[in-house]
Amino acid sequence: MPELDVEKLIVFCRELREHNLSVTPSEVVTAATALQMIDTIDREEVFISLRTVLTTSVDDFPIFEELFKRYWNSSPHTPVQRDTVSKTALRSKRTSSRQPPKGLEFFLKHWGTFSADAQPVKVPGASDTESAAKKDFSEFTNEELEEVSRLARRMVRRLARKPSRRWRPVRRGHRVNLRRSLRLSLKTGGELVDLTYKERRPKRTKLVVICDVSGSMDIYSRLLLQFVYGLQNSFAKVESFVFATSLVRITGDLKNKTYQRALDRLSANVHGWSGGTRIGASLAMFNDQWLRRIDKRTVVIILSDGWDTGEPEKLAAALSLLKRRAGRLIWLNPLLGSESYEPLTRGMQAALPFVHLFAPAHDLASLRALEPHLVL
Amino acid sequence: MLEEQVYIADAGIATALYLSMALGKPLLIEGPAGVGKTEIAKALANALRTKLIRLQCYEGLDATTTLYEWNYPKQLLHLKLEESSTASEAEKEAMIFSEAFLLKRPLLQAITEHDRAPVLLIDEIDRSDEEFEAFLLEVLSDYQVTIPEIGAIRATHRPHVVLTSNRSRDLSDALRRRCLYHWIDYPSMEKELEIVRAKVPGIVEAVSSQLTRVMQATRTMSLSKIPGVAETLDWANALVALQAPGLNEQIVTETLGCFLKDESDIAAFKAELPRIIDARCITEQERSD
Repeated sequence: MPELDVEKLIVFCRELREHNLSVTPSEVVTAATALQMIDTIDREEVFISLRTVLTTSVDDFPIFEELFKRYWNSSPHTPVQRDTVSKTALRSKRTSSRQPPKGLEFFLKHWGTFSADAQPVKVPGASDTESAAKKDFSEFTNEELEEVSRLARRMVRRLARKPSRRWRPVRRGHRVNLRRSLRLSLKTGGELVDLTYKERRPKRTKLVVICDVSGSMDIYSRLLLQFVYGLQNSFAKVESFVFATSLVRITGDLKNKTYQRALDRLSANVHGWSGGTRIGASLAMFNDQWLRRIDKRTVVIILSDGWDTGEPEKLAAALSLLKRRAGRLIWLNPLLGSESYEPLTRGMQAALPFVHLFAPAHDLASLRALEPHLVL
Repeated sequence: MLEEQVYIADAGIATALYLSMALGKPLLIEGPAGVGKTEIAKALANALRTKLIRLQCYEGLDATTTLYEWNYPKQLLHLKLEESSTASEAEKEAMIFSEAFLLKRPLLQAITEHDRAPVLLIDEIDRSDEEFEAFLLEVLSDYQVTIPEIGAIRATHRPHVVLTSNRSRDLSDALRRRCLYHWIDYPSMEKELEIVRAKVPGIVEAVSSQLTRVMQATRTMSLSKIPGVAETLDWANALVALQAPGLNEQIVTETLGCFLKDESDIAAFKAELPRIIDARCITEQERSD
């Protein structure tokens, strides 16, 4: 391959990287190798080959196509197009079968399922009275607050009991662990004397809760913190954070303390409590420091009303990163409980495409309806 | 090459497969259900005249079902037989944990294939869980498997690896990066017609083009489960079995279970049926004019 092309390829790859495609040097090497193996005169073939190597998802296709056009056409070194009949036929057939941007279609499809999910789920069989379950949190008394953390603890206990598909060895159980038993039997000359057992490992879903404590959330945030507090004290794998203008980790503060003491500590530690909101910046901060802890077994819950004074683009970028890492990304918005509310704030608009579930969180029933969504 | 395996490939698939073989990298194929992702691997294996080893993924897949498992009954029997022998414990252990007592599961099979590189199809990888993905990465990066009792087993021939996914969940970036990527969409009218004629040789020409046109129209409707090529072929086979001379409203209604698998979809389709048939008839007439 002529040297010029390699240079061009590298610049092209850098451009792709700037558009958020994951093109590492190793992909560039692969792409260069691939170019040596194909007919570089044939533009279509170059296009398909580079796309095969340099993209990792159909969502990348539209941007790739655009950049490819820009890069491999504008240069004076544009390879001559071979106009044999079969090639032209092939090309026209391809373009006819290719529909407008796939990415958009996917986006719309997700949007569709998402809005179906976001319908408030009605839960029958509530243990407490209807009126309490439906009562808006903003009207809650102290005793009812206690109910919130009780609910959280109950939910978490139920979640922790779900068995996974994986096994672990145990002393007593119902299923014989043959591999281990046989190995043990060698000690007794091949006679199976001591059997060992195995059982299903409990599902280890991790929970990360990021709670908005800015002024606009004031009525709800204390209450939702109570919920988080309940989660925290019954389930080891909960990480909790609060944010207004910046992010603070409160996992330690909530652990094993009475709620009032925990809250006092929090108020002392968290600046900007009940102040303005910068959701995008706070989530970006979360991503910087904590994203590595998030995996597909993690459910991330963001509690916020979406009133953001920062740029929506920043929020969208942070959320899309988070969504890719997390098993599920849930946005709870207390305002969604009111009939007339529509998520029209700029922040909420930016966030919607990136969450798996958008649900209300204004009363006990809505929190309880959350349970099935926490199971991965 | 693929043409003769009754697989209608386009330039995209062919190039992707070629690069995957030439670069020795796994190929990840994504696309909606029923567009023939799995067929690609089968056609490839046939074309290369090699074995196809298939691993169907599901949640909770682990090493014992994908790599290897010891053959416990055989081990037990062997120990019984050896009871009276004077072999030491260590010797016995070495004996029963040797390759003869190993049950090879798909991944190990693919690595230890003696004659030639097999095609390893890891189907619906999006259904497996994260642990399995990580584990798969390890196998795919150096084509080597370590069994504690035996040691490392290296690949004699690097298998051609094809992974398929329906995008029911996002795969990890690490896995995506390791693979070449190709997306298959529903075929165009011409391609689908070609596929039907190749795969269902007994079909009447008029029926095949009518049927493809109905299928293409069906996919533009908003259905909960959009029929794929597999459904088209099922339907085509059904029409051949019924010896239908052409499509009309009655025949379509009787056989629509072949390509619509959802109650509400069927209702929606029935409502649209006269229009679809109509549009089709018009084009038919135009053609005969």
